[in-house]
Amino acid sequence: MRRLLRARTPGDIAFSIGLFLVCGAILFVTLYPIYFVLIASVSDPTAVATGRVWFWPQGVSWFGYEQILDDSRIWTGYRNTLLYTVVGTAVNLLVTLPAAYALSRREFRPRRVLMFFFAFTMFFNGGLIPMYLLLRDLSLLDNWLVFVLPSAVNVYNLIITRAFFENSLPEELYEAATIDGASYGQFFVRMAVPLSMAIISVIGLYYLVQHWNDFFTGLVFVRDYDKQPLQIVLRDILISNQAFSGGAGASGGSGGGSYAQRYADQIKYGVIVVSTLPVIVLYPFLQRYFEKGVMIGSVKG
Amino acid sequence: MTRAGQHRRRALAALAAVTAGALTLTACGGGGDDGGGGGDGTVRILVLKHALTGPMSDMAWVDQIEEAAGVTIEWEEVSADWDQKKSTMLAAGDIPDLVVGTNAITNGDLATFNGLFEDLSDDLDALPNVTAMFEEVPATEAMATQPDGAIYSLPSYRRFWPETATRQFINQQWLDNLGLEQPTTWDELHDVLLAFKNEDANGNGDPNDEIPIDWSPAGDAGFGYFQPSVLLGSLGLPISDGGGAGYFVEDGVVKNFLVDERYREVVAFLHELYADGLVSQDVMTQDYSAYQSVARGDGDTARVGFTWGWAASDRVGAQLADQYAALPPLRANDSIAESDLTWSYDSYSLNYGVNSITMSAQSRNKEAALAVIDAFYDQDISIQVLWGDLDENITKLDDGSYEVLPPADETSDPSTWKWTTTLADNGPGWIRDDIDVVLPTDLAEAVEQSVPLEPAIANVDPTADIFPGALITMSQEDLSTISLNDTGIFGIAMQRWATWITEGGIENDWDAYVAELEGVGLTQNVEIHQRYYDEFVASQG
Amino acid sequence: MTALSPAPARSRPRTGAPVPAARPPRGHGLRRHVRRYWQLWAMAAPAIAFVALFAYVPMYGLQLAFREFDFAAGLSGGDWVGLTYFRQFFDSPQFWTLIRNTVVISVSTLVAGFLAPIALALVVNQVVGRRRKKFLQTATYLPHFISIVVIVGMLQVFLSPSSGLITRVAEMLGASGGNMLGASGFVPVYVLSEVWQHCGWNSIIYLAALASVDPQLYEAARIDGAGRFTIIRHIDLPALVPTMIVLLILNMGNVLNTGFEKIFLMQNPLNLGVSEVIATYVYKIGILSNQFSYGTAIGLFNTLINFTFLVVTNQIAKRVSSTSLW
Repeated sequence: MRRLLRARTPGDIAFSIGLFLVCGAILFVTLYPIYFVLIASVSDPTAVATGRVWFWPQGVSWFGYEQILDDSRIWTGYRNTLLYTVVGTAVNLLVTLPAAYALSRREFRPRRVLMFFFAFTMFFNGGLIPMYLLLRDLSLLDNWLVFVLPSAVNVYNLIITRAFFENSLPEELYEAATIDGASYGQFFVRMAVPLSMAIISVIGLYYLVQHWNDFFTGLVFVRDYDKQPLQIVLRDILISNQAFSGGAGASGGSGGGSYAQRYADQIKYGVIVVSTLPVIVLYPFLQRYFEKGVMIGSVKG
Repeated sequence: MTRAGQHRRRALAALAAVTAGALTLTACGGGGDDGGGGGDGTVRILVLKHALTGPMSDMAWVDQIEEAAGVTIEWEEVSADWDQKKSTMLAAGDIPDLVVGTNAITNGDLATFNGLFEDLSDDLDALPNVTAMFEEVPATEAMATQPDGAIYSLPSYRRFWPETATRQFINQQWLDNLGLEQPTTWDELHDVLLAFKNEDANGNGDPNDEIPIDWSPAGDAGFGYFQPSVLLGSLGLPISDGGGAGYFVEDGVVKNFLVDERYREVVAFLHELYADGLVSQDVMTQDYSAYQSVARGDGDTARVGFTWGWAASDRVGAQLADQYAALPPLRANDSIAESDLTWSYDSYSLNYGVNSITMSAQSRNKEAALAVIDAFYDQDISIQVLWGDLDENITKLDDGSYEVLPPADETSDPSTWKWTTTLADNGPGWIRDDIDVVLPTDLAEAVEQSVPLEPAIANVDPTADIFPGALITMSQEDLSTISLNDTGIFGIAMQRWATWITEGGIENDWDAYVAELEGVGLTQNVEIHQRYYDEFVASQG
Repeated sequence: MTALSPAPARSRPRTGAPVPAARPPRGHGLRRHVRRYWQLWAMAAPAIAFVALFAYVPMYGLQLAFREFDFAAGLSGGDWVGLTYFRQFFDSPQFWTLIRNTVVISVSTLVAGFLAPIALALVVNQVVGRRRKKFLQTATYLPHFISIVVIVGMLQVFLSPSSGLITRVAEMLGASGGNMLGASGFVPVYVLSEVWQHCGWNSIIYLAALASVDPQLYEAARIDGAGRFTIIRHIDLPALVPTMIVLLILNMGNVLNTGFEKIFLMQNPLNLGVSEVIATYVYKIGILSNQFSYGTAIGLFNTLINFTFLVVTNQIAKRVSSTSLW
């Protein structure tokens, strides 16, 4: 309220009230379903499926979490995912940032061909089979590096980073640095990187979450279960929805799966909680880089 | 300045390391081991498990197989997203010695990836158990044999399952509450359902919480178990597997019920029910788990009056199961005689598991792999693969018979227990016809609740009334034509099915619909089926 | 390729600063180029190497669209069938339905999914107080992490025509929308749930762009007596424009792309007429029935359309603004 009153004109006050209402609505719309996931993860799955769980959990049981946490594969999965995510993101940034900077230099003529070279791969790819054969030839199948190397550059992220460098680094800075005799490399390391922490944290976050959520690599290219990331383990625990496993219609498995289905329904929500908690916790630490004026402040400071 | 310098050096060093790493990898690519199983008696097996099933290393029968075959088994365990994983794996030609799991490798895969799988027809000498099964249960050999006589994959035989998956239930307590008789015709069913809707059938004081009829959601690729397609039997139209893709046989002619007048009658009847508000509003859009959950009600109070399911306790929960009675098939009207009725014949899917074990043609350890296959078909091992370890899950009695024990974990039920502790229906195996087994309660219940349906099922001749798809293998070309056409056919048919039931209109749309389906390939598909059916009949004769 | 022609004079940086020391035109081009730019080349080299290896090397697999898939003969060994599979797709009875459904779903998702994060970022940026802002940001970004299986499960529970919360609220408000899980509700439900799930996540990039606005600009505007709407319009929005353009171009390259898994899981017999899209069709015929060649051909067709859209948008962007992908 104090802040609201500090607004200077009636227009500003109206604006503040409007903003308050909008934010309230946004919060409700986003937080309620999250809350629903939380209560559904400890409620009786029958009550959830029949629409009897809305505000309070019904028939509380920790069965879902017990199942998930009892599973020793979870911890291996966590460890693997942590490794892949940390190393993977580091490699991503080391490869993407310099390339994005180089491609952002307007005087670097080949950049347009290079951009086309990169953008082309966002659309055209040879499909899974040749990729599989290539990775096999490189001995990357069943190798943890398969989580790091093939995804070292995400062209989408590269393009966004380049646009950011191009538009947010004042050209005067570069000129000043050149006069001091700085090379491209020196300017990149000493000026561009520290001034671009906002975009670096965004791209870092994009990469990090990409690794964290990546289950496809594990699914197709890894067969040794000890190397599987968390997402594969969780997907295995969570019985695939009936559309995939065929519930009643499954050939051969009929009449059996329906008991199991009930247990799976409860696990489904618990899995979300277990797998996202770490990423959610991390986010506020990155947020300080989005504070207003980080960049210019550091230049002047 | 110095700090920035350090940063820079560190960054460059790391960069160099990464680049170098990438180059090294490229350079030494192609090295490394290439699986395939060593010649040291190790057999690698990929197993497609139910997601509930625990690790293979916990199953005692695995040791028995290793001992019987004199090998060590290395398992690769898959339980989710198999379709996606499989297509790449097969296309790259990268499979372990054996693939285990019902229909893990489909007939389509066998046809597409020719040369990838071992033809077992010339290895039968090394497979005495399998050979014996082929003799005792000839259908298993028919299922395994490709048009050219090759045998790439072996089925399992489970024997004790009922001949249908879909049983029909009505809430007897509601009937008694309202003083009604069990319905025997569609009209009587309609009246009973109206009474369920209009009165407080479950007696909880709320006349509006009853759902008179509910059924399992139909997918977009045809019909399955627990769906009203079984009502086709009320008109004497024989179906299998709950309807499947719609093929059936009448007087030696293959037809598809999607364009049959009797199908039209069933849909029209279902629309009458829907229009009267008797069908669950969620029936077309709910998923399977919601369908199951709703019927469980609040525990003590039943919500659903008439429905189809595997067994009463599975369908509505153990608490409510006693309220329900298993109901014989209904007649569409009085002109249909009791003796004309049919019911969905599902034995090929329930008692057999197609393609349950497949061997790689590249296996470097052929003898060992064959020994493992044969061990799976051993009498004691088969029964353990299906129901769990001896002593833990099954007792072998002195007279040579077996008893499946109740779950050791009291909080579990027999079905879940089975799936948790062993491969169950996903495993290969041969349950002998001459052994006695005291069945687990879930299966015994299903068998018992099938009794009212038996005369109708007996009316279906599995070789003359339904299309015996399980016993027929098709060429790759025909398989792909059929599946391409099917995508179009069901895209139209299932959508109409849902719209006609909920909104009506079948009378006006019918002729155009039939023409449309025939145009997108139904006629072609029926012709292909007819060709194979004729060959099949000739080979039987 | 246009990139090889002399740089057009119009593409000057927004800052208006001259490009340092006009490039020496010709002459000992290569040597000069290398001496001048070897550091930039070195910086770009790892990325180029990775993309060349992991994206370009496997690209030979595309020829499968023109060949019969033949397992024994390998990917490049099947019989050459030319455009057979493309024709099969164009002639298939589902073709126009698939295109229509795909375009309707993807375009509405693109439009809503493009605008919503911008609006959200502007709103979040207006919130005063670090704590509140962080809370709002974290809250809106959470849904991004819910897996698709669960999202679809929740939609089913919330929208159930007999017991769903949203259905009940809608009834109370007097709307009788019918079955929102059926055909009429499919597109809005899909689009709104996409926006809901990814809006917060996608606004992060805009927040980062807003973070780079010089605070002095705000001070100056305030001293000039500018209201908050004026500040948004004249300071915040312009700061977002370059990012918006880049994302818009990238989005235009997705006109025929739709999420596969979510649509697949949301499909039911009632909505099949509007929910069958290219991605689900390819899955059904390509993966489930081993039609590799047909699947690849449809995929390539999809890609070509998308790529055309991207190239065209990029050309337009290059003309009307200085921002473009290449």
